[in-house]
Amino acid sequence: MTGFNVSSGPLKYDTEFAREIYSLENGHHIKKCMQCGMCEVSCATRKEMDYSPRKMFLLLRTGQREEFFKSNTMWMCSTCLMCKVRCPRGVPIVDVMHDLKCYAISKGYTERAQAAFYQSFWKEIWSRGKQFEGGLMARYYLKRGWKDIRKDAFRMKDMGLTMLKHGRMPLMPPKSVKGLKDVQKLVEVAKAQLQKGADR
Amino acid sequence: MAKKIGVYICSGCGIGDALDIDALAKVATKEYKVPVCQKNAFFCGKEGVEVIKKDIAENEVTYVVIAGCSGRVNYDVFNFGPSVVLERVNLRERVVWTQEPDDEDTQMMAEDYLRITLAKLKNLELPEAYVIENCNKRVMVVGGGLAGMTSAVEVAKAGYEVVLVEKEDSLGGWLKRSYKIAPLNSPYTDPEDTGLEARVKEIEGNSNIKVYTSTTIEKTAGAPGMFDVTLKQGGGTLEEKVGAIILATGAVPYEPSKLGHLGYGASPNVVTQAQFEELAAKGTIARPSDGKAVQKVGFIQCAGSRDQEHLPYCSAACCVESIKQALYVKGQNSEAAVYVFYKDIRSSGQYEHFYKKAQSEGVMFIKADVTGVTDDGGNLTIEANDLLMGSPTMADELDMVVLANGMVPTTAFEDPAYGTEAQEEAACAAADAAPVPAPIIKSNILNLEYRQGPELPSLKYGFPDSHFICFPYETRRTGIYAAGSVRRPMDMSQAVGDATGAALKAVQCIEMTDKGGAVHPRSGDISFPDFQLNRCTQCKRCTEECPFGAINEDEKGNPLPNPTRCRRCGTCMGACPERIISFKNYSVPMLGNMLKSIEVPEEDEEKPRVLIFACENDAIPALDMAGINRLQYSKWVRIIPVRCLGSLNLVWINDAMSKGFDGVLLMGCKHGDDYQCHFMKGSELAGIRLSKVSETLDRLGLESERVYMTEVNVMDYDRIPKIINEFVEKIDKFGPNPMKGF
Repeated sequence: MTGFNVSSGPLKYDTEFAREIYSLENGHHIKKCMQCGMCEVSCATRKEMDYSPRKMFLLLRTGQREEFFKSNTMWMCSTCLMCKVRCPRGVPIVDVMHDLKCYAISKGYTERAQAAFYQSFWKEIWSRGKQFEGGLMARYYLKRGWKDIRKDAFRMKDMGLTMLKHGRMPLMPPKSVKGLKDVQKLVEVAKAQLQKGADR
Repeated sequence: MAKKIGVYICSGCGIGDALDIDALAKVATKEYKVPVCQKNAFFCGKEGVEVIKKDIAENEVTYVVIAGCSGRVNYDVFNFGPSVVLERVNLRERVVWTQEPDDEDTQMMAEDYLRITLAKLKNLELPEAYVIENCNKRVMVVGGGLAGMTSAVEVAKAGYEVVLVEKEDSLGGWLKRSYKIAPLNSPYTDPEDTGLEARVKEIEGNSNIKVYTSTTIEKTAGAPGMFDVTLKQGGGTLEEKVGAIILATGAVPYEPSKLGHLGYGASPNVVTQAQFEELAAKGTIARPSDGKAVQKVGFIQCAGSRDQEHLPYCSAACCVESIKQALYVKGQNSEAAVYVFYKDIRSSGQYEHFYKKAQSEGVMFIKADVTGVTDDGGNLTIEANDLLMGSPTMADELDMVVLANGMVPTTAFEDPAYGTEAQEEAACAAADAAPVPAPIIKSNILNLEYRQGPELPSLKYGFPDSHFICFPYETRRTGIYAAGSVRRPMDMSQAVGDATGAALKAVQCIEMTDKGGAVHPRSGDISFPDFQLNRCTQCKRCTEECPFGAINEDEKGNPLPNPTRCRRCGTCMGACPERIISFKNYSVPMLGNMLKSIEVPEEDEEKPRVLIFACENDAIPALDMAGINRLQYSKWVRIIPVRCLGSLNLVWINDAMSKGFDGVLLMGCKHGDDYQCHFMKGSELAGIRLSKVSETLDRLGLESERVYMTEVNVMDYDRIPKIINEFVEKIDKFGPNPMKGF
């Protein structure tokens, strides 16, 4: 029962932070967790995580704000859905992880590569209505900066060349989808609905 | 009825291929001069059964012996009515399926089993039921709480009259003291109203139920079908006659003053669950110290329970109760902070939904060991070790702390005032070798006029003893059934189920008694022990050892049997040193003849013989299952079933040894605290008697290890060959019994 880097001295339960998390779209499901550990043993990327989903839920319930933001758990979730289908309490763990990622980004915790990738991906979709690999790469590395380009991009050049050769990565951006403005409007409406739901 | 024996040897199921059926028939016709002996390849078929039926009708066969399959199968096919004695020789499971086919020793084994059965018939008579006149068919329910009221209604619904006795001035028990109860109905998510009024109304409106309030029991005399109960009401007494009794006196909360380490007594804001219930019933839940509506409440589970210094057992209901009370707080103020410090949440059955509901409402469950509760001028702090976070933790500024203080059965107290807890000296004080008298705590509830003591024999923590796995309601006093939290800790939904089960058992008991039959586990058995009192030496062993307290005593120490209390295990028969107790179809001479009928070869033939006494309840089914699974075991053993190892009379060991058997193996049920003996104490008593047998063996100049007792349960069939073979090997090392041939 170790593995928590919470401060020494008696732990206090921060219900404020827990409540904030519960108010996320799927946040209230966290309350139902009974700490059985089924998610933990089902998780494909458990080894990469510092806290398993079970422990992450415990941190949230006890209100360990800092530990949560430091943790990589939600960023390592590959959304394989194994935990969600197996959870005996019916907690949609993948959806919760999604919300946690959104929440962390909204609080400015964007230094993780995964955060940059999600943001770039969305920007790309938003601006074209579809995906363009070149654009995604450009946006991602611009976000990550020189350090990552040096470290990462050159390491991946072989893959990039192979993709180019097979025509999997066009050099020129494709045309935007028809009615891009309408698609964007649709997304805005959905977002507004979501916000309304969260406020309620 | 003239005794005319018919032997029917079946050669189906491979018996005919493995054995010499003609030779077997000769044992019956030549050795035992049986008048009728028939062979058939398919006796359980329509024609086969007709053959037997024809013999019964035309040849006046009264004793039918079927040599074929186990008596545990085809019992419906071979049913020739109550006037025919039916004996089955198990050639299939016990011989053919476990031994080499076409072998000399297999044939000898089969012939021996036929001899055993034919020898048994010599002393066997058709039992006649002991039927009492005017069997009383009313049921008395003791305790008018949820379980008692449920039992009363259920018994009345079945068409029997009920006498409901309640100590307090009105019915209800804990329902009266509850604001709401945990849900008894789907979807099991919200606390329910107690429904007390409707329940009481149902009872009062039922003409079959007679209610006595402010009444206690002064004396219970008699036996099933004829209990005479003296009730004490106000200053006077009155008499009621009933046929069976349901004990539903429930439990009381564990004494909270012993929970000082959790802050009880130090602050008025530390309360028990029962006290919290009272606060909730008043309307707004407010702090006792200053009347402030609660904002932050901490619950401490297992306060006293699962604690070696207090109650070592789980009280089973407190988790659900705390969940309910946490929901009260949340219902009053959804913003309130509620912490539940638990060891394990045991919300059994459907209450998982209830637990989930409380979690969804925001009740915080913390798996922790509570280390202390402190009070700083009204506000309380719980300090604990959070076992999941792996760190010390605290919840402070609590308005109230509620202790889930568990339950103690009403049968665990020595006095009516529920003052001090009973001492268990009776259980521990007795020396190893002497039969252990049942621990009986004088809790002043039933005040039985039984020789063994005034209340039900109890288990370790004061709960009435009953066979926990197979027949939980049957206490060790026939006709008295325990239900609800007096039987074991349980929540209300379980108590309702329990009460219904006990009601069924009480009705069954009455109907069985009316016919002169036994109740569980020998349901319907009409045989009963007969005492040759002119030879009795007043040693009192039967009256002391009967696991069911069936035998009373007169002032001279003579046994006074109560056949309707009897469960027919034969423990008294095994206990009697004078061997004066016997059943019509089960007796000491009968078993003696059976074992003497086995042919024991001379020493130079090098064919050892090991006798096995196997309990009919678990060991015999296990042996049958070993056969069904074709597990081979030693060909030197001969198995004789006994009703219970408790009926083992030491003279049989003596007989077996002088007959020349090389060893005796006893197979009985598990005994001890978690016993599985169907007659509770039978196998334990056999063990105690066996410890004395070594003297007998020494006198005969034999190794005492030649007699060995082992525990077998029904699932141990795969161990059977190992148990038997190892014992036979051990006996082999000792060499042959020197008594052979004498």
